[in-house]
Amino acid sequence: MAGIGRAAKPWTLGRGYLLLLPLPCGFLAVFFVWPLLRVVLRSVLDPRPNFSNYAKVLGAGPYAHILLYTIEIAALVTAICLLLAYPVAALTARMRGGALQVMTGLIVASLWTSAVIRSYAWLILFQRYGVVNQALIALGLAGAPVRILQTTTAVAIGMVHVLLPFMLLPLIATMRRIDPTLLRAGRILGAAPVRLFLRVYLPLSLPGVNAGVALVFITSLGFFITPSLLGGGRTTMAAMIIEEEADTYLDWPLASAIATILLALTVVIYLAYGRLARVEVTRSLR
Amino acid sequence: MMGRADAVLGVAGRIGAAVLLAAFVLFLVAPVVVIVLMSFTDQLYLTFPPTRFALRWYASAWEQSRWLRAAWNSIQIGTATALASVALGTLSALAVTRGGRRWLLPFGSLVVAPMMLPHVIIAIGLYPTMLDLGLSGSYAAVVIGHTVVATPLVFTTVAAALRGYDHALELAARTLGANGWRTFRFVTLPMIAGGLLIGGIFAFAVSFDELMLALFLAGPRTETLPRLLWEHLAQSVTPTIAAVATLILAFTLLLLVAAETLRRRKAVEPPP
Repeated sequence: MAGIGRAAKPWTLGRGYLLLLPLPCGFLAVFFVWPLLRVVLRSVLDPRPNFSNYAKVLGAGPYAHILLYTIEIAALVTAICLLLAYPVAALTARMRGGALQVMTGLIVASLWTSAVIRSYAWLILFQRYGVVNQALIALGLAGAPVRILQTTTAVAIGMVHVLLPFMLLPLIATMRRIDPTLLRAGRILGAAPVRLFLRVYLPLSLPGVNAGVALVFITSLGFFITPSLLGGGRTTMAAMIIEEEADTYLDWPLASAIATILLALTVVIYLAYGRLARVEVTRSLR
Repeated sequence: MMGRADAVLGVAGRIGAAVLLAAFVLFLVAPVVVIVLMSFTDQLYLTFPPTRFALRWYASAWEQSRWLRAAWNSIQIGTATALASVALGTLSALAVTRGGRRWLLPFGSLVVAPMMLPHVIIAIGLYPTMLDLGLSGSYAAVVIGHTVVATPLVFTTVAAALRGYDHALELAARTLGANGWRTFRFVTLPMIAGGLLIGGIFAFAVSFDELMLALFLAGPRTETLPRLLWEHLAQSVTPTIAAVATLILAFTLLLLVAAETLRRRKAVEPPP
């Protein structure tokens, strides 16, 4: 196929297709690039052209702490997702026929389920007299209802629930491409299961791990719905403070400065890891 | 094949694997199931397990015109978003996959970028832009915002479909005298129609579920379902919300099944 394409090079229709660009280019310029640029510019120009907004964010006050907490919780959620998803993906990747369809169906359905609704479900479960507390008391694990809401635990559980599909799909896609004969060859040559895993399976699954980790970490950084519902009032993440500064306190310059830092963080990780993630994700979502 | 699995895992390992999978499925599904069951309660507050089956909270949601209007807004905005995203995503995908210029690859990354960015950043950038254009609070504002974040999905789906067949087909059509439009209409479009439709359903689903842009760009007249849901959640947790949530779940599942069926029928997947 590539051979035919190459032979036909003098005949490619490339130039004609370039005429399609102005519309999407213009749209993106006006409604994506310019708005982002505007956020960045506002963070340094408003109210005066200096870095006072950044001094405010990084100085005393809650903002630097919130940014660090956001990175911490994103790392925590990514780690939990990876630990949970890796064995599940490895088992799923080996399935065939109906079982495989049921598993991927569940994962994709979960991906499609509104994050508002899923976080709301956890909100109900974590209530003072909710199902989780009832279960804890019935099992004798707690004497009286425990406060679960507004803790990092609640936020982490909710976020893991929303983000698991983003870890599972690239992992499963990668693991399904691992040639089982390689494992058989390793075993015949006398490798113990642990060694077989560490030297053969794990390295071959690494592209999926990288993609999943990058995707989950980047998505976690911008999370708003789940931490607001499950952590609201006590635990604050970056997106929540940006929304609050802009919408409630109308401090747009400060909101822009925090947003610019979040943007820079996202772009750096995206450039470092993004190519991997994008390829794997588009492959797994297709 | 099963022999391989047995040898790797052993009996204890297989029991462990079954327990792990069961726990995983329970974790994934249980919260959603609880919401659905609770929505059928006959009590004034949410109880689990529900004592008696009733539809009173569905009736209550139906009677509140605000929910209906929000649902209708969401459907309109989702449809417009799907159409706009399909147009922009297809144009970009055609240019990037067929344009044959090296600098088109970074352009492709730019098209996909909104998918990876926190929506709150796009929202606080778009809000003043919409004010300048006099669109603040209008349907157009929400549709544009949603189109920015939904186009990447159409782009990736259609680009995959375009890479999935031999480019020489279009070349042949042109050589045989078809103009650009006829080539697209009778060669390209039939090949990527499945991808377009699936991308459109994806885009609709993104818009239907989107909260942050709707918070900043919609007005009281144009509020969407997630926005109204969010507003209610901030106040109280009544069974009406569980009923609405269940209806949204059912609708989304229907969309997913539609997309899946299409995907099966039209093999948009390129050969590995």
